[in-house]
Amino acid sequence: MLELKDIRLSYGTTQVLNGVNLSVKRGDVVSIIGPSGTGKTTLLKCINYLARPSSGTIAFDQIQMDYQRADKNAVQAIRLRTAMVFQQFNVFKNMTVIQNVMDPLVVVQRKSKEEAQEIALRELDRVGLSSKRDSYPSQLSGGQLQRTGIARALAVRPDVMLFDEPTSSLDPELVGEVLKVIRDVTSSGITSLLVTHEMQFAKSISNRIVFMDRGVVAADGSPAEIFDSPSSPRLAQFLSSEHSLQ
Amino acid sequence: MDVSAMIPELLSALPLTLAITFTALIAGFCLALLATTLRVHRVPVISHLADLYVSYARSVPVVLQLFVAFYGLPLLVVLFGSEDFFSPTIAAMVALSFYHGGYLSEVLRPAYLAVDRGQHDAADSLGYTFRQKITRVVGPQAVHFALPGYGNSVIYLIHNVALVMYIGAADVMATAHLIMERDYNQYQFETYLVLAVIYSVMCLIAWLIVRFFELRSPMQAPEATAKAQIKNALIASA
Repeated sequence: MLELKDIRLSYGTTQVLNGVNLSVKRGDVVSIIGPSGTGKTTLLKCINYLARPSSGTIAFDQIQMDYQRADKNAVQAIRLRTAMVFQQFNVFKNMTVIQNVMDPLVVVQRKSKEEAQEIALRELDRVGLSSKRDSYPSQLSGGQLQRTGIARALAVRPDVMLFDEPTSSLDPELVGEVLKVIRDVTSSGITSLLVTHEMQFAKSISNRIVFMDRGVVAADGSPAEIFDSPSSPRLAQFLSSEHSLQ
Repeated sequence: MDVSAMIPELLSALPLTLAITFTALIAGFCLALLATTLRVHRVPVISHLADLYVSYARSVPVVLQLFVAFYGLPLLVVLFGSEDFFSPTIAAMVALSFYHGGYLSEVLRPAYLAVDRGQHDAADSLGYTFRQKITRVVGPQAVHFALPGYGNSVIYLIHNVALVMYIGAADVMATAHLIMERDYNQYQFETYLVLAVIYSVMCLIAWLIVRFFELRSPMQAPEATAKAQIKNALIASA
């Protein structure tokens, strides 16, 4: 369904992605783990072209694109089939909760307001935010903001959900409510890529774990393969340091 | 001279003062939008010209900008083979539009840049076009950041309109001087006092309008309504 080949990207002289290859099948729930600064978020942002690789290719079903000759139509087609949940929530600050969910449906997908409202109410109910529909982002907690972000992403009916460290900016008390919603989303069968430092959560919801280190995919396998029998000393070291933190 | 007789005479010049102010407000806003767009999206050469324009508008004294427009524009149009059609009023409108546009550009540019990068990313990731992103997400948030600075720039503009008398435009300030000279400068204090009240009222109205929009912004702290906050602000300033 989604195939990334030889993705390379640098910020100035710093090489962030150093030839990443990744393929995702429909229905996969792939967790991307690894040390900070190793390019996990950047890789996720390459998929919807928020980060612009210097080379590499992406194939998303029938959509093919070479990043060296990025095509506006292909980028837009990919963006319309993916939805991203951000570490910093990035809920539109000038809109209420329900407007945040409705706006992409009305503006981008050209749905009627009635239909958009119906979808928005359903998704807000799904993430448990119906009572906050008319609140502005400044009136919400971090967990509520992130659930708004998830409802907005779900409402556009994406083929692939991209979760970029969705709980990293939350107080420990609020992490649970967001993880519960993500678990619900991923168990519904939607293809998901999740960048996370929540190892136990990644292990429990994913059918594949990708370990990134120094801009490349250093290990790729089932949760049991990655967590129970790490294939490299680097992976074992990373897992033990994460384990000791948790 | 009786103050009650002076006021109608001063107010008779108010429409011209307001015409110059509103022309500069509208034309200046358009110029500011253009200059800001060019300065944010660095276009080779043209962006540098926009920088130069903003630098001129902000660094040259307004009264000097009025003289440059009043004496320079007729030369410019004659150079292009056209007849000089510049009256002091038109020169004042052009000069103050350029001044206000340049000044306002330095309000709009930081306001645009103050919108969190993540807001752009979220809109882009959802497939918003550039225009949709600006009109639905980034623009309204930038307006929120720009409003306090915009209020200041409008007040500075109203103050600077008083300078148009130096190039011979018959605004309220020029009319006040005519009244004083006619009365052999006997009532200078009273005339200036009335003038001060007129400018204060104009600035207060401008401030209240801008403040109303500021408080109506959805990004404003939501606990009090705009109406209540304006009422509180007025009580506090009384």
